[in-house]
Amino acid sequence: MGGAVVLNRLPLPAQLDRTVTTGGLLAGAIVTPPLIALIVLRVLGNISSAQMVWWMLAGVIVAGALGAVTLRNVVHSALALIAAAMGLAGMFLLLASEFLALVQVLVYGGGVAILLMFGLMLTNATEDPVVIDGSQKPFAAGVGLILGVALTAAMLSANWDASISTVVDFRDLGARLYRDFGVPFEVASLVLLVALVGAVAISRRDNDDDNDAEAAS
Amino acid sequence: MIPLEYYLVLSGILFALGFYGVLARRSAILILIAVELMLAAVSLNFVAFASYMDAELFTGVIFAIFVITIAAAEVGLALGIVLRIFRERRSANVDEASSLKW
Amino acid sequence: MPMDQAWLLIAVPAVTFVLVALLNPVLPRRGDLIVVLALASVVLMGLGIIADFTGYFRGGLFTPEGANVFGFDWINIGQGLFVIQFDTYVDGITVVMISVVSIVALMVAVYSMSYMHGEPRYGWYFALLSLFATAMLALVLSGNLLLLYFAWEGVGLASFLLIGFYWERQSAAEAAKKAFITTRIGDVGLLIGIVLLWRQAGTFNIQEIINFAEAGGFSNTYLTVAMLFLFAGAVGKSAQFPLHVWLPDAMEGPTPVSALIHAATMVVAGVYLVARMMPVFDLVPVARDYVLYTGLVTAVMAATQGLVTSDIKRVLAFSTVSQLGFMFVALGLGNVTAAMFHLFTHAFFKALLFLGSGSVIHATHHQEVDQLGGLRHKMPITTATFIIGSMALAGVIPLAGFWSKDEILHAAMTDGPLPVYLLLAGSAVLTAIYTTRLVLLTFFGEPKDHHAYEHAHESPALITGPLVILATLATVSGFVVFSSVGRMLGFPGGIGEVVFTHEPHAFVFDIVFAGTAVASALAGIGIGIAYWKGDAMRAVRARQWAPELHALLVNRYYLDDLYQAVIDRVVLGLGNVVALFDKRVVNESGVDGGAQTVSWFGMRLKFLQTGRIPNYALAMAVGVVVLAVMALQSA
Repeated sequence: MGGAVVLNRLPLPAQLDRTVTTGGLLAGAIVTPPLIALIVLRVLGNISSAQMVWWMLAGVIVAGALGAVTLRNVVHSALALIAAAMGLAGMFLLLASEFLALVQVLVYGGGVAILLMFGLMLTNATEDPVVIDGSQKPFAAGVGLILGVALTAAMLSANWDASISTVVDFRDLGARLYRDFGVPFEVASLVLLVALVGAVAISRRDNDDDNDAEAAS
Repeated sequence: MIPLEYYLVLSGILFALGFYGVLARRSAILILIAVELMLAAVSLNFVAFASYMDAELFTGVIFAIFVITIAAAEVGLALGIVLRIFRERRSANVDEASSLKW
Repeated sequence: MPMDQAWLLIAVPAVTFVLVALLNPVLPRRGDLIVVLALASVVLMGLGIIADFTGYFRGGLFTPEGANVFGFDWINIGQGLFVIQFDTYVDGITVVMISVVSIVALMVAVYSMSYMHGEPRYGWYFALLSLFATAMLALVLSGNLLLLYFAWEGVGLASFLLIGFYWERQSAAEAAKKAFITTRIGDVGLLIGIVLLWRQAGTFNIQEIINFAEAGGFSNTYLTVAMLFLFAGAVGKSAQFPLHVWLPDAMEGPTPVSALIHAATMVVAGVYLVARMMPVFDLVPVARDYVLYTGLVTAVMAATQGLVTSDIKRVLAFSTVSQLGFMFVALGLGNVTAAMFHLFTHAFFKALLFLGSGSVIHATHHQEVDQLGGLRHKMPITTATFIIGSMALAGVIPLAGFWSKDEILHAAMTDGPLPVYLLLAGSAVLTAIYTTRLVLLTFFGEPKDHHAYEHAHESPALITGPLVILATLATVSGFVVFSSVGRMLGFPGGIGEVVFTHEPHAFVFDIVFAGTAVASALAGIGIGIAYWKGDAMRAVRARQWAPELHALLVNRYYLDDLYQAVIDRVVLGLGNVVALFDKRVVNESGVDGGAQTVSWFGMRLKFLQTGRIPNYALAMAVGVVVLAVMALQSA
């Protein structure tokens, strides 16, 4: 009986939005083969668990980033950014910095995402999705490609004397942040305060402006 | 064991993508999103180096915290400016903010 | 006060200048008391230095040799590679100059408290007095030529500012400009001379240069040229022919300033300079003879002009020029003692005469002798002191001027050719004549402007006080020539033992010679009295008697006209050519052409500026990427 209730509550395919359905199927089709490949490689013992997770996260990050800079719909773009940020949080976990991972989720997943959404809504950016990309897009692609190649080459050409990563303890992090970086920490808090006040001051609706606008219209 | 170069190359690709976004996009908010990507790439780089090469002091992690802080402040402020421009010009299109010329 | 503290003499008025110049609106009485007190302290410190110099603090051990007594590195280039010291140097010549400058400056400052009362810029006036005292004391205390040149320009600046003190008046502004430019011509010569000396000797220190020259370090021709350039500075500053034209016009300044700067102190800077460099001049007879004949020409020329000038202050100015000529004659004969002695006495009686004329002007608001007369009834103290000063100038025994002029005439007779002596004695007689004329026309006879006469009154004590003190000095300052007086003051042997360059100069009192001098002075006074006594119309008649000569003298030998013509024709002509070049080539092709080129390119390149921020960002990004790639390749 219980199972029937749950089934009844699931939306029927006909009720699903066509776009969502298509997009979901497409995403699944793209994502599934690499996932299967990774799992197979893990089972065969060619890669470690950590490496498998790394590849998954890297896929999420790169896909999110690509979506953020290429999607035409600005809301989708913002959501892609959040996906990339969440992938990055996972990366931080992998790098043994739990605190940073938590901060990343809180700040990006919470604050920045909401802010961006509000910005999009307030500026009606969704209304003219066609002209989102500028005329210099080809040049930008060229420059970005060259920069990516250059950076990759630079990263790979250097001989890093890297040791194993260690877990960053919460207690040590706090001690280091408040003892050795006390002054920058305070300055950063001041910067936040100034930014807050500045944002309010800049975006505040001036009564005079409103009157003028009404008088003009 | 994941080599350091994995993270570095990933951050490089992420940075280049953000770079492309900044140059290619026309809407101010999308440019902002691309900038966030670049900042994320930088903090990934910092944290990777901190974990692999600076295990005792992990200064890079501290820097990543500051980067996130500044990024949050920047988003707030920049959105304020975008709102203001939008209210003045009825558009968040940076191509139309072209009064900086002869 | 010991000699090595002589720098305080410079520092005290310098501090006073800054204080009063900046704060005079808020200081009580506009700061004049501060200046007077500072100058009084300078007098006291000067006396201390003289006491130390005469050996008073060292058990009466008198050493006439001077010493570089204080110094610090003024300019230090390259950690000791090239050092110019700020050093003071005290010897007999310095001591004489210090006493003259400090005493006259104090008298003038006290006098000005009454004379300048109620003037606009009263405080600024006193600040300028301090500035002048600073520069003048630095000039006479300096131990090296560069500091001397610095101070030399400083007194020139103070003189310029004070001549043009009433700059609202066109003539005063013109006179200040004329004085500055004329003396600048000489100053350039002085600078060239200093550089020439430095180039060979490698030092600015005066004593080192003298030692270098005496050791034969310079070739004769080189040294002659250098010393003539140096003397050009003295000619400009001391108003000698042919650069004497500025001094009569400088009388546009306030009268106390004329007394201080243009009679007693600044104009004798040239005499001081030549006296200071006398050991070097002795090595080059040609340059020394040039000094002699310049002085002679000036003495005679200025004395004749003094005969016909009607402005009371300009008569005194010509007299100053003439007396400076006397000093240069003495220097040209190599007799430093006589020159410095005459400088010493002349400062007092000429300052007295100027201050007396200031008292007259203050009382009557006239300075043309044609409009004065009979003032002896109204202004007894001024009259008495003025007569004392005049007789000292004329050379009546036993007043100060007699002794010093006698020294110069004696030197001219014994050391110089006979025509020099005759011309000099002739101008001494002329001095007596024009002085008598001035006194008679001003204080005796019938008043010519009755309105002014009725309102004339004796000046207040702040004016007559300095007059009396200076009259006393004009009477007694000649006695320092005697050994007994000198011994009393601490330097046995009199001034001749103090001021000399090679060997002490023994004072010889030749009864016959002195008698001749006094007789000629009295004769000059007699001629003056006989001619002008009680008859103002004589001045007019003199014009009719020899109109050409009179016109020549009144027009100052047409030298001003000559200079004006030269400036009009040559300088302005050249200026027009240069101006045309500037207009056509520099301005229209060079400046405008460049501007038009830039404008042409600008009109076409401005389209690169789209105003779109993404374009700018892309350009910047391309630059960054190019740099990154280059950095990678080089790494």
